[in-house]
Amino acid sequence: MNENNKITEKNVIETEVTMGPVHSAAIEPYRVRLFVEDEMVKDAEITVGVNHRGIERIMEGLPVEKANSLTEKICGICSNSHIWNSVLVAEKAIGIDVPERAQYIRVIMEELERLHSHLLYLAHGNEVLGHETFAMRIFYIRETVMELLRMIGGNRVQYGASIIGGVRPRCELDAMRIQKISEGMDIIEEKVLDFADRFVSDPMIMSRITGVGVLTRKQAIKLAATGPTLRSTGVETDLRTEMEAYEPFEFNVITQDDGDVKSNLLMRVLEIPEAINIIRQAIKNLPEGKITNRSWDMQDAPITKSYIEVPRGKLYHSYALEDGRVRNSIVRTPSITNIGAMQYAAVGHHISDAQLAIVQCDPCFTCTDRAIQIIKI
Amino acid sequence: MSLKSYSRARAVHVMLVYTGGCNGCDIEIVNCILSPKYDAEQYKVFLTWNPREADVLVVTGPVTKHNEKPLREIYDAIPEPKAVIAAGACALMGGVYKNIHGDIPSEEIMGPVDNIIPVDAKVPGCAVRPEDVLSGVVSALPLLLDAK
Repeated sequence: MNENNKITEKNVIETEVTMGPVHSAAIEPYRVRLFVEDEMVKDAEITVGVNHRGIERIMEGLPVEKANSLTEKICGICSNSHIWNSVLVAEKAIGIDVPERAQYIRVIMEELERLHSHLLYLAHGNEVLGHETFAMRIFYIRETVMELLRMIGGNRVQYGASIIGGVRPRCELDAMRIQKISEGMDIIEEKVLDFADRFVSDPMIMSRITGVGVLTRKQAIKLAATGPTLRSTGVETDLRTEMEAYEPFEFNVITQDDGDVKSNLLMRVLEIPEAINIIRQAIKNLPEGKITNRSWDMQDAPITKSYIEVPRGKLYHSYALEDGRVRNSIVRTPSITNIGAMQYAAVGHHISDAQLAIVQCDPCFTCTDRAIQIIKI
Repeated sequence: MSLKSYSRARAVHVMLVYTGGCNGCDIEIVNCILSPKYDAEQYKVFLTWNPREADVLVVTGPVTKHNEKPLREIYDAIPEPKAVIAAGACALMGGVYKNIHGDIPSEEIMGPVDNIIPVDAKVPGCAVRPEDVLSGVVSALPLLLDAK
């Protein structure tokens, strides 16, 4: 931590507090500079780029199947979202019909991932709050989801469910697996509701998180925040309502009003039963039939785009196809548009709340480090 | 067993350094120490973020260009005796980021971890399983305990 003190004209000492790239408060490497006056944060600046691996550059010229499985390695939390969206681009470009059963299985994987991502967010949020007991309780609930993902995909983190034209044969859901998912959902729902009760009725936690890291609706829209961060300020926006795969399912779009840490945490708590609801509908109405459509031919295609809703917001993938190889690949993850919101949310609060205000936007800096080209207009 | 080894074996502090992987291994390692299912704390293994009080350094990720210097500094800051564990496919051999193009070198990836700091134990897997991390930490313990 570096501190450079300087006395301003008003005789107030302005201090710069710098954290990172490797720091005890943050698991992922990023750099944050806080400009502090009287222990109140006046300005915040977040810099990313430490873990730049150049994935888009590596993808250039790879066969499309290989590139798809590489996109999964962008992020270990929302890995299924990346591979799903990348596969969707190829399917859109070539014009492949996906069997209905495969769509359902993809939705189940995505919603399971939403569950584990939201539970991880709650655990991380509670750890930053200093409440390690709650963090451990949530990690215990999360284990159930991880076991289900391991059962379906064969791995706890990178499961690689989607392939072009459907899902991997490994991810086929038979009666035993459906039974296990159904049992798992019951356990998770019970435990999450129990946790929510304890969480909301704890006066210490509620007074700690209410009114901290406030993001107004106007600012959130101006800063192009996406996903739960935007929804927590009262904007009803969810790409799942427009996605083809989610058409058969009924669910509510959860919104909160305040845009502070409390709204954000409650957003996730309330979104978990919705995700469980979607999974239950999917395993109940799972259609019979094939899970992979193999009757397609590779063809060249211009740059094709695809947007989907992932646990953190909108995810964008685009590439062109040339001789079955990927060209001009671009990935834009939700965290990069939420960085503005993180900087804004930290300002105006006590310095001890700054980390909490940054964490409330659910940052994933691994996703964020893409090649960024800034063009002067 | 000397008094020093006896007390060291009852407070093994693990520091996790993330050098540009995909986050999967890191969450599994934090999960393995914090989560009640694996709960490494019951074997007196604790997670710390301070290199000065760490005994074991767990490195994940393929070590990107910008992370090389911080990794060296953290390694130097840890007092002797120390053990280094490379966890995950990226830390062991650069993972997909280094190898997917075959022999064409990548300017962004300086790894694997072997190139930068000496590694004592290796934990394979993409992503690593919490059980494997525990056994990796246990296999590095003799280095700490038998040190003079």
